[in-house]
Amino acid sequence: MLNVLMLGIGQCGNRILDAVNRESFGGSSKLSKYYSRQKFPSRVETLAINTAVNDLKELKFTAAKDRLHVPNLHGVGANRSIGKQGFWDNREMIMEEIEKRGDFDIAFVMTSASGGTGSSFTPLIIHELRERYKNITVVAVMVLPFREEGSIYLQNAAFSMRDIMEVESDGIILVDNQYLKRLSGDIKTAYDKINDMVAERILFLIESLDSEMLSVTDLGDFKTVMRGGLGMGTLGFYESDKKTTSLTSAIEGSIKPGGLLYPANVYEDAARAMIIIQGSRESLDVDEITKSVEKLSSKIGQVFKGIVIKKGRPKVLSVFTLGQVPDLEMLYAQAAQAIQDEKGRKTRAKKQLDDAFAYIEDLEEIY
Amino acid sequence: MRLIYLVVLALLASPILLAPMAAAASDDDDEVDEEITSREFSFRAGDGVKIGDYRVELISVVSVMDGLIEVKVWRRASDFEDWRVMEDHRDASFDDGAERGGLTLTVIDIFDEETVRMRAEYRSDYGYPQKYVTERAMAPKNLPKLAVQTTVDRTDISSGDEVKVTITVTNTGNDTARDVTIQDSPPLSQFRYLAGYPPKIKNQLSPGESDLAVYSMVAVTEGEVNMPATVARYADSKSTIYSASSPSISIEIKPKRMPDLVLKVDPPVPIKRGGEGPINITVENNGDASAYRVEVKAEVKSDGKSLEVVKGSLDESFFEIPPGGSETYSATVKGSRSGSYAINLKASYQGDGEMIQKETAFEVTVLEREYKYLYYLPVLPILIIGFWLFRRYKEYKY
Repeated sequence: MLNVLMLGIGQCGNRILDAVNRESFGGSSKLSKYYSRQKFPSRVETLAINTAVNDLKELKFTAAKDRLHVPNLHGVGANRSIGKQGFWDNREMIMEEIEKRGDFDIAFVMTSASGGTGSSFTPLIIHELRERYKNITVVAVMVLPFREEGSIYLQNAAFSMRDIMEVESDGIILVDNQYLKRLSGDIKTAYDKINDMVAERILFLIESLDSEMLSVTDLGDFKTVMRGGLGMGTLGFYESDKKTTSLTSAIEGSIKPGGLLYPANVYEDAARAMIIIQGSRESLDVDEITKSVEKLSSKIGQVFKGIVIKKGRPKVLSVFTLGQVPDLEMLYAQAAQAIQDEKGRKTRAKKQLDDAFAYIEDLEEIY
Repeated sequence: MRLIYLVVLALLASPILLAPMAAAASDDDDEVDEEITSREFSFRAGDGVKIGDYRVELISVVSVMDGLIEVKVWRRASDFEDWRVMEDHRDASFDDGAERGGLTLTVIDIFDEETVRMRAEYRSDYGYPQKYVTERAMAPKNLPKLAVQTTVDRTDISSGDEVKVTITVTNTGNDTARDVTIQDSPPLSQFRYLAGYPPKIKNQLSPGESDLAVYSMVAVTEGEVNMPATVARYADSKSTIYSASSPSISIEIKPKRMPDLVLKVDPPVPIKRGGEGPINITVENNGDASAYRVEVKAEVKSDGKSLEVVKGSLDESFFEIPPGGSETYSATVKGSRSGSYAINLKASYQGDGEMIQKETAFEVTVLEREYKYLYYLPVLPILIIGFWLFRRYKEYKY
């Protein structure tokens, strides 16, 4: 039995956490929390942390005791400096809240890379977790912003990711909001959809790691996968529908760019991979699995394979770490450009203001 | 032909022709050719009647029953005087009888001790008789007179009841009554005589004295009984026998008095399961006699402890319950198992020497356990759900 800690930090993190909690209720009904019971595959403790009370209040499926408000005005205003300060001021309170939930084997810290609280708190919390829990595996789930969202968001994403790498997390699972563009419908439905997808995959991952697999993939394997490449990876998922019951197509579906949370070309960019196949006994054909995994490992190198026998249609989860992230480079470039632009604008504004103030430099107010 | 007719006519006419001749012949036999006539008179003792020179006086009635009276007949301006006791319906000739110029008297009827009807035959030329009253009749007579009175202590009785008959004989006359005997009717079959029968009375009763005889009897049958008159016989100083009788009494004998017990049970209130309930039993005597040694016994048709008497007893006994009276007692029963329990009450008692049994049955119902809080049951899930929802709401309300 794995002891899992799930932290949702900042508005985005909170919402993913809420999605996780809703998923654990089994139903998608809004009222499921009134009649159902949370069913986690392992011992899962969830905690939503935010500096903005309103964001915490919006949550629907997270118990009140699992919502931690860090009193720092109403949010940090996307300012990482204020956010960091806020964390330091409340560090003990936050960590105490986590520590009283017991010991953990793995922690998922879910956040947006671009926001204020999330991007500033996450590296620090990971650092604290590493300090306080000796054998914990900490995986960050980071949601990247729309590239067009704004310079501050981009720069926050850039710096926070770097910070996370520096505090030696066991890996980052990237979730790209660019993904939203592929989804139709209104923005709220789209956000909910992406949150649900993240929640579903992470819970599937936990369930798989905690269940008795035919081919062994455990937490150590997951750690190995996550530590490969750049230490950044993503999750792919495919659930067979009635028409496609073929296991090969299911496995391939899970590594198609369309099925990934972060669009990547697995065959070319992946460093390590883990394929978890779940299905009923009769659907799990050895040949199909072997061929598909062989095909993948010939390209990637190391592919961990896990097989879980469970009634239902075949489901496949793929975990990747990437050896190269061309998009990320672009993101950093955009971020750097944005910072430069911001700097330039700031300098120009300063200069303009200085010039303007120069007019009144030696003057006194006369009434 | 004509001759035959004449002969026949002569034959037919001959009795008519001969008759006056015969009469004339018989008239020739009598010495005196005066006609004799008769008249009837009613006499009271002391009364007299003048017939020509004869005087007829009724001295007394010697005996009504024997039909004997005493008369005195005498003739004025002569030494003829005749005292005679006459017998009823027998002719008595005085002074050689009517045919010889005397009198012939016949007692027709004796009404009572004083009144007599007589017929007198005499010669018609004595003229119309005249009644008179002698001095003796007007003088007070020293005669005993008894009044008999029979009373019963009650006339409205039931079979088996004892009746006391009191016969009181009082001498209301002014002479001593002698040889007094009373005769009650021959024993009546409707009664069994206990003591004092046949009744006896003093032999002699002085004027004003009274005596009584009491006897008792028990009615053995039912119906209306007419007790005949009690007759007292007595004689006066001249041994004249008189009798007196009491009016008859009718007694109605009703059927035998019996006690009639009725067992009444207040309809028992259904007992809750495990609860207790009272049973009130009333024993009423609706009969007209006391019930003795009343014993009421209850038979509960219940297995084991399903229905048990916890207080008091369903059995009870009473020594006597008078007619119209009632006794009440109660017991408390406890029902441990639901159901209907039949209880049979038997009362045995003694009435008029025989044992009588009466039975009554009633039922005690022990109810199913009443789940009063069942009414709350539908509310309970709502409350639980409400509480659950509220708790969940609180849990997820930030």
